[in-house]
Amino acid sequence: MPFTTLPHTADVRIRVTAFGLPSLFAEAARAMAAIMAPGCVPAHVVTREVTVEAEDLEGLLHDFLSELLYLFDAEELLLCDCRVVLEGTRSLSATCRGEMFSREKHRGGNEIKGVSYSGLRIYKEGEDDVLEIIFDV
Amino acid sequence: MAGEVTRIGEYEWELPVDYRPGMRVPARFFLSEFLRKDLESGALEQLANVATLPGIVRYSLAMPDIHWGYGFPIGGVAAFAVDGGIISPGGVGFDINCGVRLLATPLRAADLSGRRELVERLFQAVPTGVGARSDRRLSGKDLEEVMVRGAAWAVEHGYGVPRDLERCEEGGAMAGADPSAVSPKARQRGLPQSGTLGSGNHFLEIQEVKEIYDPVAAAAMGVPPQGGVCVMIHCGSRGLGHQVCTDHLKTLEAATRRYGISLPDRQLACAPVNSPEGKAYYGAMAASANYAWANRQMITDMTRKVFVKMYGIGYDEMPLVYDVAHNVAKREDHLVNGKPVPLCVHRKGATRAFGPGSPGIPKECAAVGQPVIIPGSMGTPSFLLRGTAFAMEKTFGSTCHGAGRVTSRTQAKKNMRGQDVRDRLAKAGILVRAPSYESIAEEAPEVYKPSLEVVRVVDAVGLSKLVARLEPMGVIKG
Repeated sequence: MPFTTLPHTADVRIRVTAFGLPSLFAEAARAMAAIMAPGCVPAHVVTREVTVEAEDLEGLLHDFLSELLYLFDAEELLLCDCRVVLEGTRSLSATCRGEMFSREKHRGGNEIKGVSYSGLRIYKEGEDDVLEIIFDV
Repeated sequence: MAGEVTRIGEYEWELPVDYRPGMRVPARFFLSEFLRKDLESGALEQLANVATLPGIVRYSLAMPDIHWGYGFPIGGVAAFAVDGGIISPGGVGFDINCGVRLLATPLRAADLSGRRELVERLFQAVPTGVGARSDRRLSGKDLEEVMVRGAAWAVEHGYGVPRDLERCEEGGAMAGADPSAVSPKARQRGLPQSGTLGSGNHFLEIQEVKEIYDPVAAAAMGVPPQGGVCVMIHCGSRGLGHQVCTDHLKTLEAATRRYGISLPDRQLACAPVNSPEGKAYYGAMAASANYAWANRQMITDMTRKVFVKMYGIGYDEMPLVYDVAHNVAKREDHLVNGKPVPLCVHRKGATRAFGPGSPGIPKECAAVGQPVIIPGSMGTPSFLLRGTAFAMEKTFGSTCHGAGRVTSRTQAKKNMRGQDVRDRLAKAGILVRAPSYESIAEEAPEVYKPSLEVVRVVDAVGLSKLVARLEPMGVIKG
């Protein structure tokens, strides 16, 4: 299980675990795609380069996921397989692969309205990197 | 020792100002004993967080549907002085002007033939669910006008009648919209989504008027008589509003630091109401609110056309009862210590409930108060209420907005199968149509607090008074 759902009555709150921050960010992107549109196969059908800059690590994660959300809404790009490169804590670039969203193929998901800063945490747990985040649905 | 939750009255509770360091005012909320069982600690924390924001007037408030959200609690209301106070997207949410409207029909529930076909035709007519695209896609120029003129644009383009505008909060278009503060990204998200319902808790519902509690108010508002059929529409500003929130959070975060405001939660990023950043957010938020009013107006048009075709009634025989916003910040004057003061009132999952004689309510309702629409769930009733003078004194003219969830979406899907929920509701006479079974399970009636209890509390407290009860007959879910 790449991510687990944590209790939150109104929205979707998840916990993601990975080894290393770049994979943690990539797993967060995969989780977001699975919530919005289950069944994404990263068939390399579409590829996008994404770059974001922010004040800190939490800001980078927030802006990275918000950018993927924008691409889903505006261009119907479902990007679930990202290779993330972090330069310090203020700059991120990623190569993201996925496929075009299809209402027939990817049904049963929740429309995510936004990525919330409330409850957004990135921390170490032993060797692992962990994040918790709330999506407004 | 830190202050504790204190009971002020039968339904009124207080978090004293020493409940948490940094609170500038106490918090007040309204709950019955029954509803208090479900009060989450996260919601109380968020209520206390709001009390720390600069320029907050009187109290950080929450309505009886208070629950844990992000930024403000859902059901949260707070007013900030225009002079010295702040504006925050955390007090509005991603879905700017998510709201609800109620349409009357001349039809009787008992005579409504072909109900299954009606539900199916409405489902086909109104794009719903994740990734739904509009067949009434806006041009760039149209979008520019929609952001300024809201529902009025839609009416002029054939999606309604002029009287509809008299029955919308703000006449269906908030003043102060500034499209130049809406990013190209927000526009890109908004263009293909005009006239779409969305997903989650958004819905279009066919309802029967089951009981009229206040015949005078019901007549003034234009509610059909008992046994009559109504249609309720719940949706918001779609991706345009969501992106505006995301974009302005970023600029306001920088502003928060610049103005030296310390925050307990980053989602509460804010700036002084009259700062350039605060004004830009207000302008973009108002533009999004106007998009939402146009969106509900376009869905209204699709709905009316289905009814006209199926039942041979006139398009103008489905008048709008009212349309209210649930997520918005507005410039309003309220009495503070006996004097009118310009305020920026944030309602996050709360409804404006202006009392009799207030400015900005339909002339037919001037004597009874503003219509307030409180949706239930797929299996529980919705309610029509009226605003009160008491709400003007107590909550800056605000009341609750819905029932509020008690079970998470994940838990709901574990507990129930969508097919079973659909079949059970069908046996109770409620036909449900949705893009997936998952969305039916997630929105099953038992995942919400009982709407009747929430409404009973606002009625007992006097924040709004019951006018009519509406029960679901058919539901289109997003």
